[in-house]
Amino acid sequence: MELFCLGLNHRTAPVEVREKFAVGTTKLGEAAHEMVRLAEASEAVVISTCNRTEFYFAAENAEIAFQLIETRLAEKTQLNHDIALHFYRKSKFEAARHLCEVVCGLDSMMLGETEIFGQVKQAYGSALDAGATGVVLNKVFQRVFGIGKKVRSETSIQEGSTSVGNVAVDLAEKIFGHLKDSEVMILGAGEMSRITAQSLVSRGAKSIFVANRSFDRAQELAAEMGGSAVRFDDWQDVLKRVDVVISSTGAPHAIVMRADVEQARRARKYRPLFFIDIAVPRDIDPAVGEIEEVYLYDIDTLEQLAEEARSRRHLQIEECQRIIALELVKTNLPGM
Amino acid sequence: MVMDRWFLVASTLLALIGAGRGVLAVHQGKRSPWTVAWIFGAFLCQIGFLSVRGQLRAACPLNDPGEILAFLAWSLTLFYLLVGPAYRISLLGVFTAPVVVIFQGLALLPGVLTENPQRITGGNPWHETHSAMSVLAYGALALAAVAGVMFLVLDKQLKEHHLKSSLFRNLPPVRELLISLERLLWLGGFLLTIGIVAGFLMPHTASAWAHLIAALAVWIGYIALLTVKRVRGLTGRRLSLSAVLLFVLSLVVFAFV
Repeated sequence: MELFCLGLNHRTAPVEVREKFAVGTTKLGEAAHEMVRLAEASEAVVISTCNRTEFYFAAENAEIAFQLIETRLAEKTQLNHDIALHFYRKSKFEAARHLCEVVCGLDSMMLGETEIFGQVKQAYGSALDAGATGVVLNKVFQRVFGIGKKVRSETSIQEGSTSVGNVAVDLAEKIFGHLKDSEVMILGAGEMSRITAQSLVSRGAKSIFVANRSFDRAQELAAEMGGSAVRFDDWQDVLKRVDVVISSTGAPHAIVMRADVEQARRARKYRPLFFIDIAVPRDIDPAVGEIEEVYLYDIDTLEQLAEEARSRRHLQIEECQRIIALELVKTNLPGM
Repeated sequence: MVMDRWFLVASTLLALIGAGRGVLAVHQGKRSPWTVAWIFGAFLCQIGFLSVRGQLRAACPLNDPGEILAFLAWSLTLFYLLVGPAYRISLLGVFTAPVVVIFQGLALLPGVLTENPQRITGGNPWHETHSAMSVLAYGALALAAVAGVMFLVLDKQLKEHHLKSSLFRNLPPVRELLISLERLLWLGGFLLTIGIVAGFLMPHTASAWAHLIAALAVWIGYIALLTVKRVRGLTGRRLSLSAVLLFVLSLVVFAFV
């Protein structure tokens, strides 16, 4: 019995091809069962995320099964061109190593992301429940999950945030701890501030205030995020109560001046205040950052922090691959 | 060497190991879950020291500079073990353990700890209450100063955007540090108030008056700080700096008064 994998991902196939092979999370078990039949294999697991669809099989002859599945998938998806161009084939040790890399986030668009681990676990669980797995895939997947945990605990592949929004949210948590007691004000209803504010809300921020030159747009965004709209002329009053200010207006000059923040300090009892300035040109006068209790981060600083995290993760790839190879060699997995 | 000294040496060594391993763990970017175990070991040895000295004195062992330093280290360790879970316990331990080592190291210097402690006769309960409560208060205030140092480190890193160190990753959030710092100041202030009241009720000698006036000045300093924080508000940096400076100042005052 041989282990093998047939798959496509964001590197090998454009979205219009990937979407043809996408499988909903509720249908993964059913799909695994169907794959066993289509490939005339003994076992199958189907992994499907927005960036990949992969089929893992255990069969007597991998080459025959590859041809069978490719032909039948082409018929099924009615793709006229050769789908083999988009698919990668991996067998035995290479397939197991690839699965480890997927589980560890080494093959993800966002290197080191953690969500994929849960997605693969869910895919395996669905196949297991559907009775599509057996001795080979059960052992391989369980061992791979163990290796995935080891890699994540022994390396810093998942450390640091790699997007501006997440860096800002991590910083907010470093300043305020749990965000459930924190209030947030958005100045300007731009896309970036919306995304960052949504991240803060998803991590428990208590309330959101939206101030925008167009009050209608402020109301729209506030409604979308379950917050309150504020007239743009009133943002200084709201500053007295909030903990985080995200600014991304299209103003050609700074709109938050040191004097504005100085005025609010007494009423705030000098509590820490976190400014996230993601506007270009900047909305917040750099002198605001000189105020003792103010932490000011602009787009360049946030981008630099995200880039540093991405670089650190890239430096970890080799170490992760070394652990994976070592652990796989140590284990006598079936299907190799 | 007699039993009490052995206990103090063992306690100092355990705290030193806890500090060393903690610093190493932080340097390697890891948490140090064993720090609390080393400090707990140091705490048990401190209890051993204080109980032996207490039996020899037949009173609360606060009669020479060595005993006061050891009692202060015990009090600091006690509050660390009590409030530690509110912080990331291992890192507060990493900051606390060196202070314990310094206090106990000073106590172990020749001549600081009386070799043959005399039995105290005719002790006064107000005097003992004053000494015990004051030193307990200083334990809480010392831990507040430790939290203040932690805040100052974190604040500097956040202000200057130096966020890569493993120390930064392991430090607790700003708000949690400030809340804990303020609570420790209130606890220390409360215990110090009892100590001061007991101090006025105990029999006085001329030197005791000077000591009591110095204690009162320190108490006024802390109460003023807490009042300003509560009524007007204070930045984290000023609160932390004040907590550290007041504690250092109070140690200096009592070293000379």
